[in-house]
Amino acid sequence: MEDSVTDADNDVPAGEAADDAIQPFSDLSDDGHDDVTVMDGNVFLRAARSASSGVEAFPARPVCPESGARDMQAIRLGPEAVLHSYSTVHVSATRAVPYTLGYIDFPSGTRALAQVRADAGTLRCDLPVNLCADDAGTWWVEPKESAA
Amino acid sequence: MSTDMGTIIGAGMIPMGKHRASSYPGLAVPAVQQALRSAGLSPSDVQSVVCGHAFGGMLTGQRIVKDIGIGGVPVLNVDNACSGGASALHLAARDIAEGRADVALAIGVDKLTQFGGGTLPLVEEDPEVQRGMVMPALYAMRAQRYLHERNETPELLARVSVKARRHGVANPFAQFRKETTVEEVLASRPIAEPLTLLQCCPTGDGAAAVVLVSEKKRREMGTAGAAIRASVLHSGKATTGFRNMLTPEITYHSAADAYEAAGIGAGDIDVVELHDAFTIAELVYYEALGLCARGESAALLRDGATSYGGRVVVNPSGGLLAKGHPVGASGVAQAVEVFWHLTGQAGRRQVEGARRALTHVTGGGISGMDHGACTIHILEAVG
Repeated sequence: MEDSVTDADNDVPAGEAADDAIQPFSDLSDDGHDDVTVMDGNVFLRAARSASSGVEAFPARPVCPESGARDMQAIRLGPEAVLHSYSTVHVSATRAVPYTLGYIDFPSGTRALAQVRADAGTLRCDLPVNLCADDAGTWWVEPKESAA
Repeated sequence: MSTDMGTIIGAGMIPMGKHRASSYPGLAVPAVQQALRSAGLSPSDVQSVVCGHAFGGMLTGQRIVKDIGIGGVPVLNVDNACSGGASALHLAARDIAEGRADVALAIGVDKLTQFGGGTLPLVEEDPEVQRGMVMPALYAMRAQRYLHERNETPELLARVSVKARRHGVANPFAQFRKETTVEEVLASRPIAEPLTLLQCCPTGDGAAAVVLVSEKKRREMGTAGAAIRASVLHSGKATTGFRNMLTPEITYHSAADAYEAAGIGAGDIDVVELHDAFTIAELVYYEALGLCARGESAALLRDGATSYGGRVVVNPSGGLLAKGHPVGASGVAQAVEVFWHLTGQAGRRQVEGARRALTHVTGGGISGMDHGACTIHILEAVG
């Protein structure tokens, strides 16, 4: 059986190598409330960065979306970001309306879709925003000048 | 000699609308029969079938063609969101180009009334969808950014709807056939600000079909048609970082590849059917398809260059805004529309002297992507 294909590391035949690396990702295991962490009153998003490529991703994930490397390390994003664009949504089959969404850009260049809370008429593109969260783990952004 | 990707010699489409009493076969069979009839071919001539849809469920294509006696030939079902129908056309063209068939049938069909109205149901396991993303919001954020960067007002967006509705008046296959005004568009109820109801494509049902034949078969038949000169399908590239919302990279890249494949430029195109699911899309795609330079889309629309009498007629059917957008049907419906123009069969909305046409659909709704699919076809009158 010298020609049989085996795992390079431990000589386990591929047909028997049901190891940790081949297990499915449990990426539906939370409801998004684990996305946020609070330190010294500042709110951060839990994200990830590839040790080899430096590519960041939010939400955190196990594989680098640019290189495929399995070397993602936990990082935090926030508490400050910039609102790239936004819209108040008036139709939804699944949630109460209206609600406001926006794309926020962190200083590192990583972008996230966020819920936005602000007084009517106060939003504009490129507005500085701060991350906010409640005790239940729900997070959103507010214009920097009105954030606590 | 360029690759023979087939020539459309027959086409059919049902009027788009709310057809709650119709099944998927009920929607599509009349379109398929019309396509075959206009091609002068019978079901037994069909050697390959591709069916594009997003919400038809298992074996949609087989459920349709078995009802008219087509069987024993390959039937392939393809989902690529809004690009499903155009992807079906792409695969049918491949079957011709690679010699698998001399007669191929491409079908596009979808029934959105099955969802009872509201926004298109997106994949719930996507993280942005979990945070509230809906298609109108994505386009609305593009619109907001466009208005901000270009120092424009929603009045410009409304002009896209006014043009689409004006074109739709002359199209008996359009879901909306009544003109509107800028004031009426802006006063309609908000959907995702700054987009109002009349700036969004309607919920509806529809089906379309085209028959492609090889050049050898076309010459045997002595038939005129619309030859496919380019058939490009792109998937886009995800990013976790900055994306310029006014530069839809997937459409820019697809268009560049399509023009290169066809050996022509944007200035050679007489008629365009593009993906105007929301008003902002048409403006952004003017630039991405090279119909104007970056930054000049507002002027192009205001000058009337994209309507009858202008340089290139964009969406003579009324586009997705007026004709309707039953997702998987739209790419094939666009091909039907331009086939009619290239063969002088478009009736009151005929673009006079049309020789070359471009069709463009995207398919979106997943995080990190501009869109998940983009399909562009360039067609030329032959025969």
